[in-house]
Amino acid sequence: MFELLKNMIKEEWRIYASFFGNVNFALFSFMMVLLSFGASLFIPVFQILMPLEQIALIVHYMFVLFGLSTGAFGLFGREVMNRRFGQASLLAYSSRSLPVSERKIFLNFFIKDIIYYFFLWILPFITGYFLASKIFSINAGSALLLLLTTTLSFMIGLSVAFFLSTIYVHSKKLLYVIIFFSAAVLLTASNHTVLGFFELLPSFSFFFHPSVDNLISSLFIIIILSAISVFFLKIDYPQNKRKFKNSFKSLSIRLKSSKYNYFISKDILDLNRSEGGIGKIIFSFLFPMAIIWVFILIFSKFIPELNFLIVFSIFLGIISSTIYNWLTEYDLFNSYSFLPVRVSTLIKSKVDGYMLINIVPLILLILVSLGTKQYAYFFSALFCFLSISLYSLSINIYLAGLHPNIMLCNPWTLLKYLFSIFPILLILIFMSIINHIYLIISLVLIPVSFYIIKAGCKKWDNKKQISF
Amino acid sequence: MENLIEIKNLTKKYGDLKAVDNISLSVEEGQLFGLLGPNGSGKTTMIKLMTGQLKPTEGNINVMGTDVLAHSVEVRELVGIIPEQETPPSFLTAEEYLHFVANIRKLDEIEARCNKWFDLLDFRNEKEVLCKDLSRGTRQKIMFAQAFIHEPKLAFIDEPLINLDPVIQKKVKDYLAEFVKNKGTIFLSTHVLQIAEEICTKIGIIYKGNIIHEGSIKELQEKNQHLEDFFLKLVKEKNK
Ligand SMILES: Nc1ncnc2c1ncn2[C@@H]1O[C@H](COP(=O)(O)OP(=O)(O)O)[C@@H](O)[C@H]1O
Ligand SMILES: [Mg+2]
Repeated sequence: MFELLKNMIKEEWRIYASFFGNVNFALFSFMMVLLSFGASLFIPVFQILMPLEQIALIVHYMFVLFGLSTGAFGLFGREVMNRRFGQASLLAYSSRSLPVSERKIFLNFFIKDIIYYFFLWILPFITGYFLASKIFSINAGSALLLLLTTTLSFMIGLSVAFFLSTIYVHSKKLLYVIIFFSAAVLLTASNHTVLGFFELLPSFSFFFHPSVDNLISSLFIIIILSAISVFFLKIDYPQNKRKFKNSFKSLSIRLKSSKYNYFISKDILDLNRSEGGIGKIIFSFLFPMAIIWVFILIFSKFIPELNFLIVFSIFLGIISSTIYNWLTEYDLFNSYSFLPVRVSTLIKSKVDGYMLINIVPLILLILVSLGTKQYAYFFSALFCFLSISLYSLSINIYLAGLHPNIMLCNPWTLLKYLFSIFPILLILIFMSIINHIYLIISLVLIPVSFYIIKAGCKKWDNKKQISF
Repeated sequence: MENLIEIKNLTKKYGDLKAVDNISLSVEEGQLFGLLGPNGSGKTTMIKLMTGQLKPTEGNINVMGTDVLAHSVEVRELVGIIPEQETPPSFLTAEEYLHFVANIRKLDEIEARCNKWFDLLDFRNEKEVLCKDLSRGTRQKIMFAQAFIHEPKLAFIDEPLINLDPVIQKKVKDYLAEFVKNKGTIFLSTHVLQIAEEICTKIGIIYKGNIIHEGSIKELQEKNQHLEDFFLKLVKEKNK
């Protein structure tokens, strides 16, 4: 049992370390310490705006979100990993060749994720806060307690992701019902600014009221959800050869308005026929948006000048750019390197595909503006969404080329990414507070983004691609 | 005759390792050139260099009159390549993948081209199966078809015929022989000497990044020497 776990952790380390070297990899944790140290210094500033409880609420939901996205990647990433590292090279997927049950492997995978992310993210994050609180005597609660409750929040997020993906595998209808229900709850909450509901998160309650009850209910959620996931685990390895008529041809004819229709058609078929499918979009996109929704609600309660729809559209733009990560995860340049294909051709095809899939967040934006009845702000929000979505995509492309998920684990690249995006974001939010009409200026970002994409294509054409 | 491949003083280093060490080589039109060598001797590296998939540390490569370093994509437009490891993408069917490649290569009459290969390599029954569910052999057939779908004059084949059953192997060998007869040129790499002996017109033996022998198969046959004995002798000498 422990042997398997040990090997999984080693393997994860090996994969990342082989990209950046051990030093850079360790640096990542160090940077987390610095970042959270810096952020903790702002706690007193935030405390002027809102009570400590709300800040803590945001922090805990951040960790839930983190767990959700980690879990989603862990599961839907399976096909990705398979492709990237070759069949059976990953222990977690080699149950057919190892004398271990799939349940056991899955359980180990779950534990590995917790251990791994605990040391890589959570511990450094809390250490940063701890140092800040000791050096500048900022007191926002015990660091040790925070370590426990954020870890619990992370685990809740992780087990929710596993649980939902288990539901997805068994019944898509049930998952849609759950999503519909959650959306209804969010809408009700935002129309009435009822935050009490979100404070029910037991790991959060535990932070302010460290009682055995709260600890037990946190653990209960985690154990029940992951036990159900393990029990109903279904790993689909269809034995029969499924046959498909040539849909590539008709699809590429339908998409012929893009120069890269054949690449986009291939991506669509990939996404459709592989595990998850739309599930991937839901997990990587709708869930983060739901949590960000909660954040905005909290903030706008204390900064009433914030317009919900505008801030939502800005974050929607940023989260949308993760669609690019999914599109590129599914491809490896190696599978084209023997064909007359340039790296830039592939990147441009992903940009076209990205624009196409951006219809989904666009629809979401329309639905949300209908739901929140903020019609007056719709066009400003639309401009923000379009320009931020394209801008973060361009930064992503310039910094990470075809490998955003891997490259952004490099601390320096991540730092550059954050510094390119955050100032713009703050400026837009600030402008929206003055008068949302000014946001029309955000459209300037669109030509800028195209320029950056062009520069990125040039940059990556001249670089050797990462091979695995 | 015209040289389709001209390599001058080619070197490729991976860190300190010289995977290709100052190799000069030329291949004439209409040849079936076999690059032979044990595992790790630099065959795959050579093919990747010649097709612009890797940048050389030093040296010049000219393929079909095109400078590979400056115009790698153009070279890959001209030639066909069967890579050693890559397999078709998992979630396309065999037929869809060939359509995809034909689209990349901007070809017309795609259906006719595909049909030719379904029949030639006998995988029409499996054309609607996702590549991930296909056997290794069938996937290799698809890779073979993809390399020849645009009817190139020159093709590079890295380790051919492994995973194929004897019947298909025979068909492939016949196809290659016919291809060369019609003025096509093949550059193949293999560590299976029997293949080289059967189909190559000319061979180069590569060992630790150096070409240690170059010559025609006929020469060897005239000396009544088996390729295997010859090969082992050469490698032994080098190891001394
Ligand atoms: N990407 C790489 N990085 C470092 N070394 C490599 C890489 N690719 C190949 N090598 C090394 O170069 C040598 C030649 O490899 P290769 O060309 O694949 O040989 P062959 O195809 O003849 O088996 C080997 O020693 C191999 O380990
Ligand atoms: Mg090789």
